[in-house]
Amino acid sequence: MNIKEYISSGIVESYVLGLASNEEQLEFEQLCLNHAELRQAKEAFEISLEQHALDNAVAPPAAAKQKIWSQLNLVATAAPEVNMEWAGEKVQPLAPVRSINFAKLLAAASVILLVGSTVLNFYFYNKYQTSIAKLDEFIASNQTLVSNSNVMQAKLQQYQNSFEMMKDPSMSVVAMKGQAVAPQSLTTVYWNRQTKDVYLLVNTLPQPAADKQYQLWAIVDGVPVDAGLLNMNETNGLVRMKNIPKAQAFAITLEKKGGSVSPDLTALYVMGKI
Amino acid sequence: MSNTVTYNEQELVLSLKAKDQQSFSYLYDNYSGALYSIVLQVVPDKELASDVLQEVFVNIWRKIESYDPTKGRLFTWMLNVARNLAIDMVRSKAYQNSQKNQGLPESEFFDKSGSATHLSVDNIGLKKIVDKLKTEHRVLIDLAYFKGYTHEEIAEIESLPLGTVKTRIRSALTQLRVYLK
Repeated sequence: MNIKEYISSGIVESYVLGLASNEEQLEFEQLCLNHAELRQAKEAFEISLEQHALDNAVAPPAAAKQKIWSQLNLVATAAPEVNMEWAGEKVQPLAPVRSINFAKLLAAASVILLVGSTVLNFYFYNKYQTSIAKLDEFIASNQTLVSNSNVMQAKLQQYQNSFEMMKDPSMSVVAMKGQAVAPQSLTTVYWNRQTKDVYLLVNTLPQPAADKQYQLWAIVDGVPVDAGLLNMNETNGLVRMKNIPKAQAFAITLEKKGGSVSPDLTALYVMGKI
Repeated sequence: MSNTVTYNEQELVLSLKAKDQQSFSYLYDNYSGALYSIVLQVVPDKELASDVLQEVFVNIWRKIESYDPTKGRLFTWMLNVARNLAIDMVRSKAYQNSQKNQGLPESEFFDKSGSATHLSVDNIGLKKIVDKLKTEHRVLIDLAYFKGYTHEEIAEIESLPLGTVKTRIRSALTQLRVYLK
């Protein structure tokens, strides 16, 4: 920051006259610590302001000072009264005889009641605030529980559907064993002979590179037919693939993202015959 | 009878913080006129201004502990106390009502405290200098400094963009510094 520009920006006057915002004030005070120039500019403006005000003074009414002094219980002419205090000879005025009358008593009692009730109000208000805060907490945690439970139910539903499909007697199970590229890989195709639906279960497959994607192929009379792409984020349970009316085998290859028209047989991961 | 003790700023502040009455009396004698003139620029009625001045000195006496000399001179602090209390007065319900009442011809009660006791404030103190500013600047300084509106409020009152209000006030203030010298 150019401190000269800052000084001539009007901030000095703004700060001294109390027109600067809180942020501006903080910044100004920070900068004052490190810039003697800025402090000098501020001081100079303050002095000229003070001088100007003194030059343009308007005498207040004569009684004003006395009023201030009596409001503050200050001693107007210091000397004599201070002496009296010091000598301890101040004459104590006679205390007036107090007559407690009923109205006063009532007033006092009502003041006490008012104070008491105010205190209680405060107390109950605080309690109320705490309860509200606690209630909010409970509502929030309840909502978390409900949404967790929804997630769990959806998952459960998914697994149940998978299980129901596996149980179907018209379902053929094709275990696809790992090939040379990744011998540990294993997937399973569930092929419904009646509906011709194809579901894939990923037992284990290596995580593909970001620009690659697994593609399922159905081998139909020796020709590979595209049976759909596998999204690795959705491999919980059975994944529905493309409908295949007829096939002798299934295979998975690793292809470029978005899939290929014909499989890259050098990246054959798993294969299994029906 | 009259004490000829003089204080430098630091001594004065220390004595005031120690609640030394003599220093407070010195402060009043030397600064009440300057502060009264500031108050009058916001509250033109002499009697009301004198009430505000009373409030100002009561505040100075009671709140002197909160004055931080590292932030500015004593007078700057007192000036801000005076300005704030004067603006508070002008904004008070009582004052607003009395202004309305003064406008009514049948109101005899307020007539006496009306124009007769108003100083022509345009010729005193800072206002005299502010009057040297360009109109567009003068109006904004008047609203910001003497009426105590925030920049946002002024932008609304004058239907100007906030940025324009800020730049105009800043450049008006740099002008003021030049005039004060």
